[in-house]
Amino acid sequence: MFDQILFFFNALLQQTGAANFTFGNLVMIAIGGTMIYLAIAKHYEPLLLIGIGFSCIVANVPGPPDVPGGPPVSALLYVVKEGGLFHYAYEGVAKLIIPPLIFLGVGAMTDFGPMIANPKLVILGAGAHLGIFVALILAKLCGFTINEAGAIGIIGGADGPMAIFVTVKLAPHLLGPISVAAYSYMALMPMIQPPVMRLLTNPAERKIEMAQIRKVSKLEKIVFPAVIAIIVNLFFPPVAPLITMLMLGNLLKEVGVTERLAKTAGGALMNIIIIILTVAIGSTMAADKFLNWDTILIVVLGLLAFLFGTASGVVTAKIMNLFMKVKINPLIGSAGIASVPIAARVSHIVANQENPHNHLIFHAMGPNLAGVFGTAISGGIMLALLGVN
Amino acid sequence: MIPDTVYGAILLSVIDFFLSFVVISGIGFVLSLFPYLNRLGEIDEKKLREGGH
Repeated sequence: MFDQILFFFNALLQQTGAANFTFGNLVMIAIGGTMIYLAIAKHYEPLLLIGIGFSCIVANVPGPPDVPGGPPVSALLYVVKEGGLFHYAYEGVAKLIIPPLIFLGVGAMTDFGPMIANPKLVILGAGAHLGIFVALILAKLCGFTINEAGAIGIIGGADGPMAIFVTVKLAPHLLGPISVAAYSYMALMPMIQPPVMRLLTNPAERKIEMAQIRKVSKLEKIVFPAVIAIIVNLFFPPVAPLITMLMLGNLLKEVGVTERLAKTAGGALMNIIIIILTVAIGSTMAADKFLNWDTILIVVLGLLAFLFGTASGVVTAKIMNLFMKVKINPLIGSAGIASVPIAARVSHIVANQENPHNHLIFHAMGPNLAGVFGTAISGGIMLALLGVN
Repeated sequence: MIPDTVYGAILLSVIDFFLSFVVISGIGFVLSLFPYLNRLGEIDEKKLREGGH
């Protein structure tokens, strides 16, 4: 009888996740916990990190095997499986439904005035993308195919939806690790960028105050989305769905007669999309899939892409200063990496720490918004050169 | 179009980086013409909002 009780207890234990818990699960739970800590304690992009961190934790709590003798399946992965809610959430990401909707929301929330007001600074939106190409070449040297290397490189564009979009086109099997790396580093930019920015500038440069930007009229703001949509659709059809939606969202905001739609696109719809996106991304972080050399390489290359992108943005701004009568603060160069408005906020904070009277946020928003187009252009050219539509 | 080699990766990077600068400079040029739009007149934002839904 004792043997029977022991047998049933053992059978019961096998039906739980406890028997299948691995060291890798523990590592990933610690990573998820760190993300939540950074979101709560340091306020590092809580909208992204809470969802990703929580679903990363749950994805690493193993459940019983799906089939007798098979690998353990986490409770979260049960809902990710076909028929479950997050299966369709992930499909929304993988089938490129969610990225254009994110761009619609971003457009509806964004004032492109700082970019229109100072066209000279738009060049920083290209200058800060050296990281894309450094990561691309290094990824190729590490043995990835050129399509995989291109998808890894685009992490350096610091634009989550664009990284997803290009990855699905070039290397869909890498969607999980690339989206995790892109969104995690975007959220961690307040930690990643400042050391590079300080290393490449001296205190005098960081103290440079910039003149107030001109006021942009309503007419200019209404014409802007249509002009950009025409240019992008004409020259970069591969990335047109994203930029078209970005510009539609912005037009809804600027015209003034569609306030309800703009509020929905940038508010409720955006919030729903963020919840779905973060859980879909975090649910790909199960230890057995995530803790392998390819993923670790992608995470390291993504970090290098961010570091080189930040550095090249600052250096481009310093080169521009050689030719400009009125100097710009080189800290705004790093904002050209995209990741709106995180990178612009970082530029502002670093400058403000050096000179409390310096408010760079509006100046940094110009290159920051140009960075969105810079990433789209780089991604579009990459897709075209690799023969992908 | 681009060979799947390290040379191909370098080629892709150089072309892409260069063209990105060219295209974004083009967008910058277009934006520098935007102030001329204001010669067409001014939009009354208050009236715009009144017509909204």
